[in-house]
Amino acid sequence: MASRTRLFRTASFRLVAIYGLSFTVASALLGAGVYRSVDAEVAREFDDRIGEESDALQGLYATQGGERLAQVLAARAAGGVFAYGLQARDGRLIAGVARPPSGKDGKPSLGWVEMPEAEADEAPEGAPEMLRALVTRLADGTYLVVGDEQRRTMGAMRAILVAFGWAIAGILALALAGGIWTSAQFLRRIDAMHGAARALMAGDWSRRIPVDATSDDLSQLARAFNRLFERIEKLLLANKHVSADIAHDLRKPLAHTLRRLEALRAPGDLKPEIETELEGAAADIEGVLATFDALLRIGQLQAGARRAAFRSIDLRDIAQEAAAAFRPSAEDDGRVIVEQLTTPFPLQGDRDLLMQMIANLIDNALRHTPPGASICVRTEADARGPRLVVCDNGFGVAETELNLIFDRFYRSEAAAFASGNGLGLALVAAIAEMHDLAYAASDNRPGLKITIVPNVGERDGAA
Amino acid sequence: MKLLLVEDDLDMAAHVLAGLRERGHVVEHTADGREGLSRALAGGFDVLALDRMLPGLDGLAIVAALRRERIATPVLFLTNLSGIEDRVEGFEAGGDDYLVKPFALEELLARLSALARRPTLGAPATVLHAGDLEMDLIQRTVRRGGVSIDLGPKEFQLLEYFMRAEGRVVTRKMLLEQVWNFHFDPQTNIVETHVSRLRAKIDLGQRPSLIRNIRGVGYSLGV
Repeated sequence: MASRTRLFRTASFRLVAIYGLSFTVASALLGAGVYRSVDAEVAREFDDRIGEESDALQGLYATQGGERLAQVLAARAAGGVFAYGLQARDGRLIAGVARPPSGKDGKPSLGWVEMPEAEADEAPEGAPEMLRALVTRLADGTYLVVGDEQRRTMGAMRAILVAFGWAIAGILALALAGGIWTSAQFLRRIDAMHGAARALMAGDWSRRIPVDATSDDLSQLARAFNRLFERIEKLLLANKHVSADIAHDLRKPLAHTLRRLEALRAPGDLKPEIETELEGAAADIEGVLATFDALLRIGQLQAGARRAAFRSIDLRDIAQEAAAAFRPSAEDDGRVIVEQLTTPFPLQGDRDLLMQMIANLIDNALRHTPPGASICVRTEADARGPRLVVCDNGFGVAETELNLIFDRFYRSEAAAFASGNGLGLALVAAIAEMHDLAYAASDNRPGLKITIVPNVGERDGAA
Repeated sequence: MKLLLVEDDLDMAAHVLAGLRERGHVVEHTADGREGLSRALAGGFDVLALDRMLPGLDGLAIVAALRRERIATPVLFLTNLSGIEDRVEGFEAGGDDYLVKPFALEELLARLSALARRPTLGAPATVLHAGDLEMDLIQRTVRRGGVSIDLGPKEFQLLEYFMRAEGRVVTRKMLLEQVWNFHFDPQTNIVETHVSRLRAKIDLGQRPSLIRNIRGVGYSLGV
């Protein structure tokens, strides 16, 4: 069902629908024009026929007299197409059945009239047919009526209408079928592009959009995208090499320095002040190396590390483990970790990375709250799906900074006193993105609240 | 302990060789992957320390070749990057542990000793002893000199790890990886806090503590 509505919402279907509608409107206008002119022509011919008949009868009256006319009328009425009437001055019908209708003054009205068919000609049931008739007054004061059933012209017009109706229905059906067909073709190719784009976003940079031999606009677009992807892949590869080179070249001298410091301290006969200084220097270098590792790791995650190690896991279990690991340290500093982990949060993921994500969130909460603070770790669920929340009742983050805390090296004013390298939440963001999870920070009134939810809507571009 | 180091960073290799030899271990070294494989195939080592990226033949290929030959000598990978992929690939190829460069010599030594003394196959012990400390792995109970000690699940796991490594140095990183499955270094001192709680329970007020601090390195449980 969803795919069917998707079909109707494609650009190509809309285009075909617009064309189909335009053709229908044009056909309807053409039909109306034809109908009007044919109708006028048919009406004129109809009147001409009656007029000619009336003229002939008047001629007959002029040359052969009223009695002869009455005889002819009687004979014609029996087998002819027209309805006739010859009415004397006193209102008596001399011949035929059609009586001229009376005007306002009580006298029969002359000229063209519309009137119900006389009783004798009437069909056994139903309303009497309408006649269109020409009433003329003869020299002796009698009235001559010559008329015909209007239905005859209406039948012809109806046939024209029906023909146009079928033609319009045919155009609409063709437009719909054409729309569905072209849209299905279009969708198939768009889906291929979508699939390639998703694979690329997931880190499979070697993926390309399948291209057939045709050179229509979509194929050209696909080729252009493929060239773009090729370029991105090259850049990423270059970037990866640069990162690896930097990692190698910067870590090596740092490692050497670290070893020298270690060698200096090894004999153990140093003055305590020097020992302390050396230890501090070593710790600083280790800090730089740790920052370096975190940066490289974020880079790797963003470049789309392989997901082969992904398994079905429950984020709730990981949160439980993480909360348990941090609880003693939190308690020693006078903080509490409040767990509400009853709702499952199943997903496909890398256990170690998700553990780091939750550990970083708890770590962050512990380091940015005053002693005595309460830190919550909970899973919830509503109609939209499961949710992981890590919150605290500490100082919180200014509204304007909430969006920035996931940036690399971002440190809020309020957090200036806290330890850390400013990469903890950036790693959280990178790990979440890799797992197709969305993250958001909000005001916990007081404190900070970080929420992690599955990324819906990304799954199907049309959903 | 007799070990083979295959490492092409000669400066680092010299440092490791000097450090290990100073502590009385027998260390062989080569910078070439193929040479490393042929020496490892010849056998006689308690443990191998292999660089991941080597000229000739890389560390992964060496381990894969060894395992194909059914040589089970424990392998420690030395890697430049703490990439997720690196770690998974290392274990999949048949590696037993990995250590990211740069590392402290003590960290390397602690891990090599842990690998070299891994228990040989046989009926696994169900009761562990360390002095008058006794741990029943089936009943999940701990006693010291007849006094029953109540431990939380993580404390039990931590003590079990210490007792299995009795007399050896256990680093903070090893504990994070083995007990908590944390392959990263949290800012919060979770290891220190857990160890200090464990000490408070198992020491029964006696001094010095059963679990000694090894300054700048980690801990060691010994009597």
